[in-house]
Amino acid sequence: MSVADLARYELAVPRALPEACQLLAARVASGEPTLLCAGGTDLLVELGMAPPLGAGARPPLCVDLSRLPELGGVERVDRDGPRIRIGAGVSYLALGRHALVEGALPLLARMSHDIGGPTIQARGTLGGNLATGSPAADGVAALAAHDATVVLTSVRGERRVPFAGFQTGYKRSVRQADEIITAFELEPLAPGSPWCWRKVGARQAQAISKVAFAAVAELEGGRARRFGAAMASMAPVTATLPATRALVLGTPLAGLDGEALDRAVAADTSPIDDIRSTRAYRAHAARALARGFLRELGAAV
Amino acid sequence: MSSSEVRREHVGRSVGRVDGAAKVTGRALYVDDLPARPGELHGAAVRSPVARGLLRSIELDPAFDWSDVTVVRAEDVPDNVVALLVDDQPVLARTRVNHAYEPVVLLACADRGKLERAVAAVRLELEPEPAVLELEAALAAETVISGPDNVQSRYLITKGAADVEAEDRVAASRAAIERALAGCEVVVSGRYSCHHQEHLYLEPNGMVAWWDADGLHATGSIQCPYYVQKGLCRGLRLPAERVHVTQAVTGGGFGGKEEYPTMLALHAALLAQKSGRPVRMVYGRREDIEATTKRHPAVCEVTTGCDRDGTLRVLSLRALYDAGAYVTLTPVVLSRGVLHAGGVYAWRDARIEGLSLATNTPPSGAFRGFGAPQTLWAIERHVDRVARELGRDPAELKRQNLLRVGDSTPTGQVLRGSVGLAECVTAALEASGYRDKRAAPPRVVGRKARGIGCSVVLHGAGFTGSGERRLQGKVAVDLRPGGRLCIRTASTDIGQGTETVFAQIVADAAGVGLADVDFATPCTTHVPDSGPTVASRTVMVVGSIVERAAQKVAARVRAEQAAAGGSFAAAGDRLLAREGAVSALEQYEPPGWVAWDDARYKGDAYPAFAFACDVAEVEVDLDTFEVRVVGFWCAADVGRAVNPVMCKGQLEGGALQAIGWALTEEVVWRDGRILNPRLTNYIVPTALDAPPFETFLVEAPFEHGPGGGAKGIGELPMDGGAPAVAAAIEHATGLVLDGLPLTPERLLAASLARGEVKP
Repeated sequence: MSVADLARYELAVPRALPEACQLLAARVASGEPTLLCAGGTDLLVELGMAPPLGAGARPPLCVDLSRLPELGGVERVDRDGPRIRIGAGVSYLALGRHALVEGALPLLARMSHDIGGPTIQARGTLGGNLATGSPAADGVAALAAHDATVVLTSVRGERRVPFAGFQTGYKRSVRQADEIITAFELEPLAPGSPWCWRKVGARQAQAISKVAFAAVAELEGGRARRFGAAMASMAPVTATLPATRALVLGTPLAGLDGEALDRAVAADTSPIDDIRSTRAYRAHAARALARGFLRELGAAV
Repeated sequence: MSSSEVRREHVGRSVGRVDGAAKVTGRALYVDDLPARPGELHGAAVRSPVARGLLRSIELDPAFDWSDVTVVRAEDVPDNVVALLVDDQPVLARTRVNHAYEPVVLLACADRGKLERAVAAVRLELEPEPAVLELEAALAAETVISGPDNVQSRYLITKGAADVEAEDRVAASRAAIERALAGCEVVVSGRYSCHHQEHLYLEPNGMVAWWDADGLHATGSIQCPYYVQKGLCRGLRLPAERVHVTQAVTGGGFGGKEEYPTMLALHAALLAQKSGRPVRMVYGRREDIEATTKRHPAVCEVTTGCDRDGTLRVLSLRALYDAGAYVTLTPVVLSRGVLHAGGVYAWRDARIEGLSLATNTPPSGAFRGFGAPQTLWAIERHVDRVARELGRDPAELKRQNLLRVGDSTPTGQVLRGSVGLAECVTAALEASGYRDKRAAPPRVVGRKARGIGCSVVLHGAGFTGSGERRLQGKVAVDLRPGGRLCIRTASTDIGQGTETVFAQIVADAAGVGLADVDFATPCTTHVPDSGPTVASRTVMVVGSIVERAAQKVAARVRAEQAAAGGSFAAAGDRLLAREGAVSALEQYEPPGWVAWDDARYKGDAYPAFAFACDVAEVEVDLDTFEVRVVGFWCAADVGRAVNPVMCKGQLEGGALQAIGWALTEEVVWRDGRILNPRLTNYIVPTALDAPPFETFLVEAPFEHGPGGGAKGIGELPMDGGAPAVAAAIEHATGLVLDGLPLTPERLLAASLARGEVKP
């Protein structure tokens, strides 16, 4: 970034979450343009492509969340059973190396190694990934497959939103303008249970997903007692695959029909043609990836 | 030449890069690192948003404060032409635009933020016209944008039965080659297409221009200082002695900084002239991808005839190249395309026709390989097809038909020596285990299938035919105090290692240490015109006169040493004290036997060819059709490797660029505009996509090459990657793809067409 770009925003670097919440609340009340920045891996790109500010226009305030201690940390907590709490500001690099994540949330660890490249992984965060709301977000697909709970904090307090109720449309969510995504709570996967992370990109690194498939399952007596799955780049929001989940949870694995599975995946997704891929390819890959994982679970699809 | 007397202490050794330390420590100054000159302005271009249209007016928003913005329009350009082969391209569009992103207005301002707003405050009133955006549409000529039929240049090469004398050679040779094909036991036809490719050098194009009492100065990221000087002289109507063009340290070119910097230098110079201030123009990635040249898309129609035993006899090939909106270097690119179209095979009868067609896309231009990768893609894919028809292994069919010393190419050039082709094929096939891997059915593990494929290619070094004779490239080697030698050449180091290999050649030729050799900054005021840094000519052509010049200067110092004693340095200093300057200026002269007929396209197209066999092994995901290259073997006949590590680096880097072209790189167009002008969506391979490379240097020395026989290899590795990868995909999946790029989406479509996709 060159010196000429520096006038595009002003920067605030709060040192603690209450300070950040107060600042944000004040900005929202005054109606002045405000940006939240976690790792900046999306935001700086967007700022770089934004049209120039008009002469004399007031640049937005960018609130840097990357130094808030409350957004860090990965720990085991108890909330309706065991959960792993992941700070929204934990970088992918830290996530992928964390022993607790590797052991209890292997999908998340694997995804963290696949996203962007080393520089993106060092800066990027799950909170930022969810906040910017791209339907192609890999981290969000991983959260969705785990039915993560999203923790939001503001001067009004803290609230918890189940993932299924978080996204409301393309780059829209239930997050209020004065709220900061502070953490996620995920149910650990039973040791040895099957999971799948498959990112289909145009290259091995630095690729936005054409399709990504995240899934976890816990099996018992020939059935899935837990099955969570999601896809990126397959709908205007992260696809949480309700029909597919219902089919898998409601059918003994041995009796699962491949074509019924294909129909469920098709019903759950609405792929498009865009710069990165085609509708036909995405539809095909989504079916194939879902079948591949179900075969791993013992279904004859 | 006295190469047999030369002791080789440096050539053949992988010495470290002489420019390496400056580059890794940041001391090397690329154009955007150069300190701002006093009063310097930033420059920008206002470009056409449409592919074709009439320019009705240019309006500057009256609400905008233009007081500190310099505005240059077409009428400000003394001679509104970018001087290349044909005077068809304006520096700034005047009455019409012929492609999207064509520059129309130039602006300069000290404040970059304001400059950006100023660009948005210029309104171009354009009346769009129907545009021709694809080769097929250009050929159909329902809309004519150039000449009577959109055809811009044309070549015809004939050999054997097709080499007929007739008033209408085009028609008569066509009839003759059809008769020859009719007499063959097996006739196979195919059509092969390939697409644009963006250079994506790390450093975008950039230039700084200023005027002073000596005239105009332009310093930038360039391959060819004298091309830029020529363009500035013409566009600004200046004599050469008033134009001083200097190369800044340059971060890659691949041909993308061959002709384009002339345009950029003209823009910066015009703004500097009108504002009376230095002007800097450094493109961002988006502008660089949108506005600068790309590799020519091409379609080749091929029909061949052979004996049932696989002996290739007759070749008929028609190549169509998409030139884009202006001629630029296209005729030369097309020429190289047709000259390489026969591949590495000994055809008895050949007819090769090439046409370039105008379209309303940004001009296609020089790109590593310069036309050859397109026809070599076609001929290699085609010989694979012939093998399929014959039930033969493609590598064995290729080996059976390789050119040998004494054989002739389609232009009738008899190969006199330095043909290490068979050794390349043997080395690459053996190292890769090709035969065993092809003997069994493709290995499938889970949903991943492996396949292996090979290509065999050649690349002529230096300018085509009489080009080098016309060019008269020159270099100088000067004696400096302390027994040092300084190379003065316009052959630039753009990352490929010229400074290092030239220093190695000079050190050996003069019998001095590598540390005693300097490389002068390429500036038209101080270095002779060595010809452009293109065409795989730097080492083989320019390196040979560098060697000779160094020998001559050293011989004078040695004579002084013999006469009056002392060290090389002491003798050199005595000479300098006596004579003031001691220097040797050498001019290139091709070997006397090189004979070329431009009118009939016959004779010795190149003094030497480099050869290579590439083997690619791929793994294809049968669910997603993702392709990974899991192994890449290249054996290349380089004549003589001056610096083996750097030579392999060129070969492997070029192969990766070829793999990118084959698999992922795709310029996506809509209405003549590029939809993916960003690093995030124009997909070049990353380090993780690079396969393990095994590269073998075969040395069949070329008697006139420097260092004991070096040939040019800069472009060779771009030629064979795509057909080798396509052959490997075919082996793994049975899918035959004849059009690039080989994306998963296209593989899926091919699989659907065969009715065999099952998730």
